[in-house]
Amino acid sequence: MLDDALIPEGAKRCAFPIFIIGIIIVGAVLLWGVYAMFLCWFKGLNQTNMNDYYGFALWIWADLAVIAVGGGAFFTGLLKYIFKVDDLKNIINFAVIIGFICYSSALLILAIDIGQPLRGWFIFWHANVHSMLTEVAYCLSCYFAVLTIEFIPNILENRQVNKVPFFHHLAHNMHEVMAVFAATGAFLSFFHQGSLGGVAGVMFGRPFAYREGLLIWPWTFFLFTWSAAAFGPCFTLMVTKITEIITGKKLVGDKTVNLLAKISGWMITTYIIAKIIDTVYWAFVTVPSMGFELGHFYSNNGFYGYWILITEVILCGVVPGLLLINKSTRENPTTRTIAIILGVIGVCLNRWVMVLQIMAVPVMSFDSWALYIPSWQEVATTILPVAYGIILIAVAYRYLPVFPQELELNEPADAAAQN
Amino acid sequence: MKIDRRSFLGLGLGAAAGVALSPVGVKLTDDSSIWTQNWPWTPVPEDGKITYDRSVCSLCPGACGISVKKINGRPVKIEGLDDYPINNGGACPHGISGLQYLYDPARIKTPLKKNGNKFEKISWDEAISLVAQKLGEIRKSGTPESLGLITGADSGSMAQLFERFMDAFGSPNTYNMPSLESNLALTAAALHGADRNLGFDLDHSDFILSFGAAIIEGWGSPVACIQANASRRERKAKLVQVDYRLSNTANAADKIIAVKPGTEADLALGICAVLLAKNLIAGDVNTSAFAAMLAKEYTPEKVEAITGVKAADMEALAMEFIKAKAPVAVPGKGRGDVGQSLREFAAVQALNALADRLNKKGGVFVMYPADYLSFSENVMDDAAKQGASKAKLAGSVNELVDKLEKDGGLSALFIYNANPCYALNNPEKVKVAMDKVGFKVSFSSFMDETALRSDVVLPASIFLERLEDVVSGGGLAKTVVGLCRPMVKPIFDTKHPGDALILLAQAMGDSIAQSFSWNSYDACLEQVTGKIWDTLSGDGYVVIDDKPPVGTPATDFTFLASAPKAAVPMGEGDYTLVPVDKMRLAVGSMISSPFAVKIISDKVLSGKYSVVEINPATAGILKDGDIAVLKTAMGKALVKIGFNEGIMPGVIGMPRGLGHAFNNPYVAGKGVNVNDLIGPVIEPGSGLDAAFGIKATLSKA
Amino acid sequence: MVIDLDKCTGCGACMVSCMSENNVPFKEDESDKKLSITWMRVYKLTNGKSFPEAEIVYLPRPCQHCGGIGDHGHSPCVSVCPATATDYGYDTGIVSQIYTRCFGCRYCMGACPYHARHFNWWDPKWPEGMENYLSPNVSPRMRGVVEKCSFCYHRYQLAREQAIVEDREIEEKEYQTACTTACPAGAIVFGDLNNPAHKVHQIVKPDPHPDPMNHKVVGKSRNPKVFRLLERLGTNPKVYYMSDREWVRKAGDNYLKGEWENVKTHHGASSSHG
Repeated sequence: MLDDALIPEGAKRCAFPIFIIGIIIVGAVLLWGVYAMFLCWFKGLNQTNMNDYYGFALWIWADLAVIAVGGGAFFTGLLKYIFKVDDLKNIINFAVIIGFICYSSALLILAIDIGQPLRGWFIFWHANVHSMLTEVAYCLSCYFAVLTIEFIPNILENRQVNKVPFFHHLAHNMHEVMAVFAATGAFLSFFHQGSLGGVAGVMFGRPFAYREGLLIWPWTFFLFTWSAAAFGPCFTLMVTKITEIITGKKLVGDKTVNLLAKISGWMITTYIIAKIIDTVYWAFVTVPSMGFELGHFYSNNGFYGYWILITEVILCGVVPGLLLINKSTRENPTTRTIAIILGVIGVCLNRWVMVLQIMAVPVMSFDSWALYIPSWQEVATTILPVAYGIILIAVAYRYLPVFPQELELNEPADAAAQN
Repeated sequence: MKIDRRSFLGLGLGAAAGVALSPVGVKLTDDSSIWTQNWPWTPVPEDGKITYDRSVCSLCPGACGISVKKINGRPVKIEGLDDYPINNGGACPHGISGLQYLYDPARIKTPLKKNGNKFEKISWDEAISLVAQKLGEIRKSGTPESLGLITGADSGSMAQLFERFMDAFGSPNTYNMPSLESNLALTAAALHGADRNLGFDLDHSDFILSFGAAIIEGWGSPVACIQANASRRERKAKLVQVDYRLSNTANAADKIIAVKPGTEADLALGICAVLLAKNLIAGDVNTSAFAAMLAKEYTPEKVEAITGVKAADMEALAMEFIKAKAPVAVPGKGRGDVGQSLREFAAVQALNALADRLNKKGGVFVMYPADYLSFSENVMDDAAKQGASKAKLAGSVNELVDKLEKDGGLSALFIYNANPCYALNNPEKVKVAMDKVGFKVSFSSFMDETALRSDVVLPASIFLERLEDVVSGGGLAKTVVGLCRPMVKPIFDTKHPGDALILLAQAMGDSIAQSFSWNSYDACLEQVTGKIWDTLSGDGYVVIDDKPPVGTPATDFTFLASAPKAAVPMGEGDYTLVPVDKMRLAVGSMISSPFAVKIISDKVLSGKYSVVEINPATAGILKDGDIAVLKTAMGKALVKIGFNEGIMPGVIGMPRGLGHAFNNPYVAGKGVNVNDLIGPVIEPGSGLDAAFGIKATLSKA
Repeated sequence: MVIDLDKCTGCGACMVSCMSENNVPFKEDESDKKLSITWMRVYKLTNGKSFPEAEIVYLPRPCQHCGGIGDHGHSPCVSVCPATATDYGYDTGIVSQIYTRCFGCRYCMGACPYHARHFNWWDPKWPEGMENYLSPNVSPRMRGVVEKCSFCYHRYQLAREQAIVEDREIEEKEYQTACTTACPAGAIVFGDLNNPAHKVHQIVKPDPHPDPMNHKVVGKSRNPKVFRLLERLGTNPKVYYMSDREWVRKAGDNYLKGEWENVKTHHGASSSHG
């Protein structure tokens, strides 16, 4: 094959032309997204269906969702490097790559979403220390740098790159100190995941979003960090599963998968209990003190009903939690996969609710519900990072030793293929 | 030098560190923030010295005083003028957006001549000589009376100048567009004598009985009326609104008397009947024929059947009215201009007369026209004298349209301050009628529907570019003459219509030129306002009169005694379609500005659709927000349904002022012109189009 | 500011005056009100009854210039702006908006429950020649930034400069917002809420102490006819409203079933200073 020299030693990869075709197909979707991106940059945000009632819409949801599911990176890193859960070494590289994709996507979407992108740096230079978004910007940027640093060793381990002694030693040394970065990453993630929850929770003018809390941090701060840590691994496992299906190989051993699933399950369960307590308090204490009944937020409109609350908390929260803490359902690939998918949906739904439902709910007694459907430009630019992620995973998988267990898990099959 | 990977890397990292620590980053970020403040397409308005200039707004008959803020002589803001006796510092959304009219690129910028389907630009000299030549031909042919004038100006020097031209030319065919002013004048003429007008002293009334008048939504002098309403609470004055829907005025009123649309006159006559029956009429008013008619036709039961107002309620209302210290009854549905009948105005005025409210404080003043202009004697040659003394082609502008459409009769037409191809009911017919006139000259500032159909346009400068007397009217109880002063030189190649008229007259030569021997309109104005010119130009206004006129005029009830019939809505249908006047939507010759159109509610204009109000109880299968086909005997249109609890079941309310059809995407091409759906119903005798509504059907689109 | 809703006719003069004063642009189609920039917006409320008991009220809503919880200057929007493009002025109580600082993240718009903030989804463009009426006292905006009512801050600046030059205080009539001067019904009264000589103070009589029923609220009016929008959220707006009609006052905030009857007579406490 054309690129044999780049493929990790002993690994089997599909034919280069097939690979290129795949890249091109996904690349076409990516280019569609790039076109939409340029439309937004040059024509302005009127290319979207956002309006004065929907200042935060699909993009912000995508940002929050992608960061939440990217939480698998920091949490897995924390577990592996700080809590020394060694089995996770089999999935940590991939978690980092997923995290890298998620965070670079978030930054890209933000660059498109703000009205004056050339002034984006004001958030650093003219920071308002009271704003949750300031915290998000700083920690997100720093954490992206951390993810980059965590990703680099894997890149340096490419067969050809690794031949360069400098890079070989650099990679080795970086691995040695990775714990520091993992700790830094976890610290930063705690804050920016939380601050994203804080973005919603501090809005005392929006009873649907507002939460009481601890000192300056509304409860949503902690719930967001917790849910990112809980559901992020689900996303890591889900993408792993998809990659395994596409490549036709087993890439991570069951032991690691089940371990991560179990940890995730317990995180989900404890999170959902906290979430239920928070929801009940908010519904029966906080919002009545602001003059609202719970039903106000779930009726008299064409979309948001109690179904969304029940789906998020019960179907996509309690259910996956229970499925993953219970050994038999966890170790059964079908139920585990169902649990993982429900989990990912659940966290995405939570982020949707905490961005879009807030915008939709009327606060003034004479105001009305606002509903919103994204424009194709918004959809294209949201799919853009997904396409980019697919391409990056494809390239990384093809050329980098992402999965330490790849060879051992596929030996018989590969050997058989060779014979 | 050996470049190996290590040194290359080192070089690279060193370079990166160097750039990061250098000023490059700081400079680029600083630059980018400056770029983003100075996009070249973002306007930077020029700064300069602030001055304030005063003038009078003449967009509507309100005649409010305005203060114009200027920067280095460039007008930037219009506000109400604080010490002006009509509006006392207040302003309305249209007056405030006056600058948008001034600078609108949609203005007609030069004189135009129709060539086939298009207009071509011509110079003023060409335009004047072309018109003079055409008019000269008409005079030579011996039929000067075939020149017509449709005007929206009821008073002031411009109205008199046009009248003077028509006289000197030899034509009696001057037609005024219907306005509250002209309707009140017609009423005063029918009841009290020619050459009078009516003014309503709302500021001092303690009981205003309004028969559908949109007192806080544009009736009369809008700001003055809004202020009269605003002071009601302190003055402990009551407002009772007779209405078929919850208009803003009805909402502000202390009580609403719900009547079926078009039956306001019947209620007024019913109240008159109650007062007569209970012998509550003061003074000696000869009412015998009228009284007899009332006793027979307007018993409380009959009135209840017609209007829907319970007999007991009407009697209570009559008692409240007569017992008030200073009651006044106010006529004119909505703005009181189109779709009104003399019958209705007269009925309300009769109530005022019977209740002895004529020329009383807080009542209705029977006023003489402001007599501040003195023109020299017109110079009329024999042809002029002969032509001017002929009978008019028609009794009113609506009857003119009828006549022209059937038989023609005018060979030329001037249109000034009027847009009959939009503002009259059944504009299609108006267009056909106009097309029958060979030569049409428009003095419009904007290419409105009527200007589009003209042959020559002599574009008028707008009020912000003109010197002109603006006299109050429209039912105001005081008479104030204000001086509208130019705030800037004309932006485009337009002229004061007075100057255009003078140039035209002088181009025509002979007696007409002699009648117009001024150098300019400005010179003319100074001359004809002789006695008051100094005060007018110094103070900016002269209060001719603000007290009740002396003495009580007689009232002739003959017209009413003849029991004139009410106009019946044409056609068939489950609903009665009635046009609704909205404060934010200009009507008549005035086109709403972009700002005014911007503030129109989305319950009035939704996307491109006019929103019609119907009561949910009579909506049938139609739902709020549905697109529906509204059909009348005159045509059909697509509209959006807007549920409104505040409108009587069975009635469709449709906003007036939308549906303009000319090339201006900011203010035209939105909604439907309700006049397209209503056909005129000419009231015998007055010649007014009394069609207050029409029968209609609604079906889902 | 205090707005008498019984005098307001819904004419919209305030809306136009504000747009004219502050160089607010206009588009060809302004019928989608969620994309229409109107710093002052007149809402139409109804009492929800059927004809002929139906009643309406027009409610002009400028930026409320909230003081935030406890009136400490942490307005819902100011607290969340990441670039300090909007700030609370402790001297005037006015919430400012700096267009050249704003990078358009729209967080403030999400935080504002009054929808007083508008975004430039398009580049403002004026028909050729209309730029001539733009005022140099207010910066025209570029697309991608948020704008809102500034209580005509430029008028305050002009009045203050004059007062400084003449070494005196600003007089009540010298600083009035464009909407206030435009209103033909005189429904809007504007001035210094803390100055007993100003009309707005005399009408509103704000209680400077926290409301004992809700400590987030400061400045509750002692006038039983006066209320604020969404007062119980603790936004502490500077804009008060007044009406004789109970249903209008009730519409200003949200209440649980039966709650209104208990709170409708609760107003700012009489001065404890005698």
